[in-house]
Amino acid sequence: MTAPTSTRAVVLSDPSPGWPRRTPKVPRRKRKITSETVTPYLLVLPVLLILLVFRIYPLLLGINFSFTGDQELNGVFVGFDNYLFLLQDERFQASARNVLVVLLFVPIEVLVAGLLATFIFIKVPGHRFYRSVYFLPVVLSPIIIGAIFNIVLGANGPLNAMADSVGLPTVDYLGQTMTALPSVLAVHIWATFGMALVIFLAGFSTLDQQLLDAAKIDGANFPQTIWHVIIPGLSQTIQFVFVTTTIGMLTGLFGLLYTMTAGGPGAASYLPEFLIWKLNGEARPALASAASVFLLLIVLVIGLIQIRVLRRATKES
Amino acid sequence: MKRFVAPVAIGVGAVLALSACGGAATTPSGESAEDGTLVIWNWGNSDDAAAAYQDEVLAVFAEQHPDVEVEIVSQPFDQYYTLLGSAIEAGTGPDLALFNGGTQLKSRTDQLTPVTDELADIHDQLAGWPAFEDGGETYSAPMFLQGFPIYYNKAIFAEAGLDPENPPTTWDELADACDTIASETDVSCFALGNKEGLGIEFFLSGFGSGIFTPEEYDAWIDGERDWESEHATQVLQLWADTAEDGWYNDGANSTAMFNDSFDLFSGGQAAMVIGLSSGIAHWKQFDDFLGDDLGFMMPVTVNDGTTLALPIEGGIGYGVLNEDKLDLGVDWIKATVDRDALANYSIAGGQIVSDTTIELDTDIQSAQDIVAELPGSKPLLHTSLGGDTLDLLHRVGQQLLIGEITVEDAASQLAASEG
Repeated sequence: MTAPTSTRAVVLSDPSPGWPRRTPKVPRRKRKITSETVTPYLLVLPVLLILLVFRIYPLLLGINFSFTGDQELNGVFVGFDNYLFLLQDERFQASARNVLVVLLFVPIEVLVAGLLATFIFIKVPGHRFYRSVYFLPVVLSPIIIGAIFNIVLGANGPLNAMADSVGLPTVDYLGQTMTALPSVLAVHIWATFGMALVIFLAGFSTLDQQLLDAAKIDGANFPQTIWHVIIPGLSQTIQFVFVTTTIGMLTGLFGLLYTMTAGGPGAASYLPEFLIWKLNGEARPALASAASVFLLLIVLVIGLIQIRVLRRATKES
Repeated sequence: MKRFVAPVAIGVGAVLALSACGGAATTPSGESAEDGTLVIWNWGNSDDAAAAYQDEVLAVFAEQHPDVEVEIVSQPFDQYYTLLGSAIEAGTGPDLALFNGGTQLKSRTDQLTPVTDELADIHDQLAGWPAFEDGGETYSAPMFLQGFPIYYNKAIFAEAGLDPENPPTTWDELADACDTIASETDVSCFALGNKEGLGIEFFLSGFGSGIFTPEEYDAWIDGERDWESEHATQVLQLWADTAEDGWYNDGANSTAMFNDSFDLFSGGQAAMVIGLSSGIAHWKQFDDFLGDDLGFMMPVTVNDGTTLALPIEGGIGYGVLNEDKLDLGVDWIKATVDRDALANYSIAGGQIVSDTTIELDTDIQSAQDIVAELPGSKPLLHTSLGGDTLDLLHRVGQQLLIGEITVEDAASQLAASEG
């Protein structure tokens, strides 16, 4: 191989520059350290350093910290005591249960975004208007949304006033165990489905128009078109929206929880993130670190499952 | 690839090995001791009066230490203790920090330097020390007194046909008054914001002296608490009963205490409220809205053999986190209780200050009534609770309010959390 004269030439001539190609026929030779072999490492080094210093190192410190005690046991190795304490802690158990509730709401958000995107895609009257309206909440801060819905969902708020005026019972949505977390999740869906909707619209633009036309000619009705043409065509988009929505739900609810329920009533709307923040505020940072490790594990497990599902879906297509 | 992985793995291993012995034992470093700066954390000044008071304190301190640069860092109160805890763990904590007396200070005494001997000379001048004492050591000096006085709206009392000048003195009278207010007016008897679960601690400390005997009260403060005792369960029972009997505004569990519930009282939507004596939700703030209609009442007698006392104690004070700056820290603490600075602030900001020699120069009657009750006052019951128990109390308080757990269940959970 002649020495290329430019980076562009390197890229074009060799799909994996820097990695000497090895074929079974050629006997292995000693690799020379040249600028060619070193440059790629140098190029990725800054990113790796940033990851190591600002992500991996603090993560390891946090894990290490979770095995130490709080207050008078500050800095003392306590083994798995923090983890054992958390497992029998009412608030931790509640937040773990609530993660399952949160996961139940993921399909709802995907469904809402998917349906509304379909309506926009088939150009219902006023679809341009709805497209911007649906996206509007995405740009609002969760704190502002929380403040707005504190009023809307209040015991004497407009929603209850409306219900009362038509003879329906009034509910203190944010102050009752059964309704507090679902209310927050419903608001979260309202606030974030716009992003999922945009991803769906992008997916729609890749749909094969011929298939849609063929379905129309064959006399498929609207539900049939959705079920047999649109959903199969959008399988990758749907998977992607599932993953991003789940991540958003697991890591983006703090602002709403903080403003809307503060974890209550009791521990009814605690989520791991909120618990971590509370524990640290109670001067128990090591315990909070242990809870953070649990959250990491939860996100990791769910993330791995989803990546697996996503990979399988990609293969099928 | 292997060649690349190896150094990374070694690096990660080294990091783990290094950090394993570090843990959380980092303490604030004394590096800045020589350069003459004093880093102080607080949660900012809520109004101009507070800012003026801080300027006066700075001036008093500067007279003693003209070469020391004071750096005041204001943190948002909502996240104050979280940020402070993180900073201390990271070894970047301030030299001094502002603390709420009671639980917040007492749960962090391991990080604080005792100043018992250093402050002995001003001990007699100030009231409210117990909130800053733990295990026989003093950790700060109270700047203000924070208490839970019960305020009432005389206009609503009059509208309901009650005597505005003679508020209830027993529990039965109070219950009758609430019944009357419910039937004669369309406002609630008490304003309550329990979103954060704070309501029950206001209830416990606000009414405690009428429920517990003086001996039980003192034992409670000293840490001898039995949540399953007759009078402790009575507190929980009364709390649940008052909710059941409709004393509070709708949706109390979803109403924020600061400031939505106090706004209800200021706005004439509730006849009574358990408020504060300093800082916020106090006589001066309510006076702005209610004027002469603002009344103050003592707790009511629930049980025989009790002695009614105004619940009030040291509210906030600075604690020394950096032992190397103990002398500067002590002088700062003394500057914060400077008589002139406190006197000016008490009027301008609406504070009941700790210095008992300062006469509160205001014509707001409820403030004078509060001050008149100071000699027989007692510390707050809830601030002697540990952080865990207090948080549990908040949660069971919310659950009791909506009838989701029984009083017995709540009492046994609280007893278990006290260990």
